[in-house]
Amino acid sequence: MGHERDRAVTPGSVAGGSNGGSLLGTAWAVFAKDVTTELRSRYAVAATATFALAALAVVSFAVGPFGGRAELLAAFLWTVILFAAAAGLAQAFVREAERRTWLTLRLVAAPGAILLGKWGVNLAVLASIEVLVVPAFLVLFGVEFRSLPAFLAILVLANLGLSAALTLVSALLAQARAHGALVSALAFPLVVPVLMAAIVGTRRAFTEPGAWPPEWRVLAAYAGVVVGIGVLLAEHVLDD
Amino acid sequence: MKIVAEGLGVRLSGRVVFADVAFTWNGPGLFTVTGRNGAGKTTLLKVIAALLRPGRGAVRWELDGVGALTPAAARRRLGFAGPELGLWEELSALENLAFGARARGLAWSDAHGSAWLDRLGLGDRGGERLATYSSGMKQRVKLAFAMLGEPALVLLDEPGSNLDDEGRVAVAMLVREVARRALVVVATNDPAEAAWGTNGIAL
Repeated sequence: MGHERDRAVTPGSVAGGSNGGSLLGTAWAVFAKDVTTELRSRYAVAATATFALAALAVVSFAVGPFGGRAELLAAFLWTVILFAAAAGLAQAFVREAERRTWLTLRLVAAPGAILLGKWGVNLAVLASIEVLVVPAFLVLFGVEFRSLPAFLAILVLANLGLSAALTLVSALLAQARAHGALVSALAFPLVVPVLMAAIVGTRRAFTEPGAWPPEWRVLAAYAGVVVGIGVLLAEHVLDD
Repeated sequence: MKIVAEGLGVRLSGRVVFADVAFTWNGPGLFTVTGRNGAGKTTLLKVIAALLRPGRGAVRWELDGVGALTPAAARRRLGFAGPELGLWEELSALENLAFGARARGLAWSDAHGSAWLDRLGLGDRGGERLATYSSGMKQRVKLAFAMLGEPALVLLDEPGSNLDDEGRVAVAMLVREVARRALVVVATNDPAEAAWGTNGIAL
């Protein structure tokens, strides 16, 4: 492997191909490629941000500013994030199919690396949207924290699980027609556990001073299990 | 690289694309796949590239000094250029090549990438985004992408498509040179390209 990695890409010399990059090295290459294309097109961020802001506006009209119980606010926050994520995160695979780059990607990158790289990109897209949406939500509804670290921990862990589940389902349906609609429909049962734990954990962070919501364990385990299953089954998930 | 195909058959959307295709191709050398539109040339290349599983039969890949390859290992050893294998329009030609090299764990430098692009007549345009390229220029980048890492198996689907006369000459020279060290399979309808090799199959 080391010999293969050190070989220069030069015209002329006889080599015979690659033994393939490491899982993480190839995943990083996929991630970097997708981040670069996303920064230049803003396709997924635009789709996700538009949906998130629209959902936020609808919720604010329904609840009214500076109002609502913590239980409801936690549910509204995660509803906004879920629908925005469902609208935007499938783009990672949809765009590869639409631009006919899917086969090229399959040719140069191992399935597990593709999944990890796309998961990383989706995580970054989701986080970038939340940087915009979460402060707006908190200000708009006058949410007061009892535990900011707990809220941030729940947010990060739920993002890991939510983006992993949506990435996995999106990969399963990479070649399907009506990809976006199918991803939303099939991902919903899969993300119910992470959504429930995130809502309860967020409510605790809003209302219970100094509490460290026990839901963090559920969220961490969920993300680990989904990512682990995804990488282990990637060959079967992405193969024709 | 040696490819052995036995009783290959593919059915897509209920239609039989081809059936009972069998061949043994031993590289280095150049083999052609010819046939009318819709005969299944591209489909056959995708099966050879382990990007499509045949409904019937099997393909075996063998590499000197390594032995039989799994489909995943075969994919890592081959380059493929064709209309169904697009590149990323938001990236420059060099960035596309860099991604291909890095994803496969190959060392990369812009100088090496530029050497390939120079060879295919793209000169100093390597830093420009693919979205600004003509279809012929994109075809040249695809061919350079397929040559990354000096693969043991090179699959070229209509390699001369969208190219001007100068491009066709450059590609013909490149293909002949690569065929001296690798197994090259060219799928084409163009009589001139079909004449590059004397072995192959007609679908």
